[in-house]
Amino acid sequence: MITFKHIEIGYQTTLLHSEEILLESGKVYALIGRNGIGKSTLIQTMVGLIPTISGTIFIQEQAIAMLSAKEISEKIALVETRFEGVAFLKVKDYLALGRAPFTDVFGRMKWEDWEAVHTVAEALGISHLLEKYTDQISDGERQLCAVGRAFVQETPIILMDEPTAFLDYINRNTLLEILVSLAAKKNKCIILSTHDIDACLDHAVPMLFASSGKIQLFSTLSKTEILNRMNEKRPEQSF
Amino acid sequence: MKERTLKWILLCLVCFLPIAMYIHLVSGQIEVSFTTFYRAIVQYDSNDTIQVLVREFRIPRLFMALIAGAGLSLSGMLMQTLFKNPLAGPYVLGINAGASLLIAISLMTGIQFFKSNFGLIGTAFIGAFGAGLLMMSVAQRLRSQISLLLVGLMFGSFTAAFVSIIESFAGAESLKSFSMWSMGSLQQVEFSQLGPIIMVFSIGLFISFLLVKPLNLLVIGENPAQLLGLPIKATRMAVLFLTAVFAGMITAFCGPIAFVGIAIPNLTRILFQTTNHRDLILGNVLIGAIFLVLIDAFIQVIEGYLTIPLNALTSLIGAPFVVFLLMRKLK
Repeated sequence: MITFKHIEIGYQTTLLHSEEILLESGKVYALIGRNGIGKSTLIQTMVGLIPTISGTIFIQEQAIAMLSAKEISEKIALVETRFEGVAFLKVKDYLALGRAPFTDVFGRMKWEDWEAVHTVAEALGISHLLEKYTDQISDGERQLCAVGRAFVQETPIILMDEPTAFLDYINRNTLLEILVSLAAKKNKCIILSTHDIDACLDHAVPMLFASSGKIQLFSTLSKTEILNRMNEKRPEQSF
Repeated sequence: MKERTLKWILLCLVCFLPIAMYIHLVSGQIEVSFTTFYRAIVQYDSNDTIQVLVREFRIPRLFMALIAGAGLSLSGMLMQTLFKNPLAGPYVLGINAGASLLIAISLMTGIQFFKSNFGLIGTAFIGAFGAGLLMMSVAQRLRSQISLLLVGLMFGSFTAAFVSIIESFAGAESLKSFSMWSMGSLQQVEFSQLGPIIMVFSIGLFISFLLVKPLNLLVIGENPAQLLGLPIKATRMAVLFLTAVFAGMITAFCGPIAFVGIAIPNLTRILFQTTNHRDLILGNVLIGAIFLVLIDAFIQVIEGYLTIPLNALTSLIGAPFVVFLLMRKLK
């Protein structure tokens, strides 16, 4: 589904690099790493907003840099860290924007488009928010809406930048459960960056680990191994 | 707000527009009846003094009030969505200033960019579009919404300084025509120019409706919009182009008219409580047109006693409203 081929990423200087990594469909991956290590940069690179410094990221055998905005919108949905809400934008209209890749030139919603919005709202338990304005709900509710907007887009790949940051304990667990079952049922590839390591261990999701300037994929890691890896200094910082 | 309530508001506005136009027709020094109005357009008799007055002064003035109100509001709405900043507008972001600068150069230095009837529109358009591009490139380096407005105001002062330097070299005749223009007036258009102006406005309005989907996406920000399939660079150019067409054309014919472009789109958004641009475009056109027609009707009523420049009156009403918006937003 997604392949990293010897990539180096970052803005001007390299933040992270990787060997060849293959991410499969039907699975949820947790992107783990300390603050400032480059998780958000990696996610921005994977959706084509930032170019790689070297190497190539392939989405379904196509290099991301070669895809148009329209093609990317049909393959990848992104949930950004913080959706701040927009005055006078209702939750249902925000979710409906996720149908943009499917609607006509005027953005007119068909019956099945609204159907998709309502199904997702129900699955995430935000149906009661649909008529509210996005700037008048709580941070956590807004975050669930942002996740919903990505689900509505119905892409084979979903990337999420800390989607659980503002969620309460119950919602965190529910969201991860929903993601795992959605990935398995609809054969999607879901990658989320998170600091919620316990929840990842509970659900035994494979980890995309960023440490010492390197991205590596692990199918299982124990808590001690995670701590040890996180405490490793980057080579150039250890003088 | 329920969608039905919104439809009712729109219907009320549509009904009120002809009423506002009627108020404008009867509020001048000569009262214009519908028959005279109709005859002056369709069965024009150039020997009838009243008809000549109506055709050459009152009708162009009424239509310019409609188009300037609608066009400035639309161009303000477009900029507010593009810059994701409710305080943006053609005046505060220096779009008018760009147009004014090029018009000052062309009126006072004798350097003509275009010679035809559309020369002034073309000149103003280039100035407006150039200023728009400049603001766009500045906006991408700024984070705060307020800094962008400050840059816009600085740009305004900068061009004003240039204009006054040009003024000090200009001859009496061209200086007079420029300072008349800069007071802002709806009376400088002739009947024969109305056709092309209405045509350009209608095409611009049509293109605005084609941009409804991109504008609705831009509401959540440029990156999220791009990831939903929006070709961001082309959209930016199209919106800036449209803004420059509206603001440039109106500035060319009516002079700078302040605050309509920032106040009306905010009023529309607060009244309609939606981000759907299909409704916002309709609302801005109707409310903007009604607003300027009524303002100009008021100017006509008191004209016997006192002549207020249009630009002064819109500023008197618009500036406090913008301060009110700022206080609501910044607290």
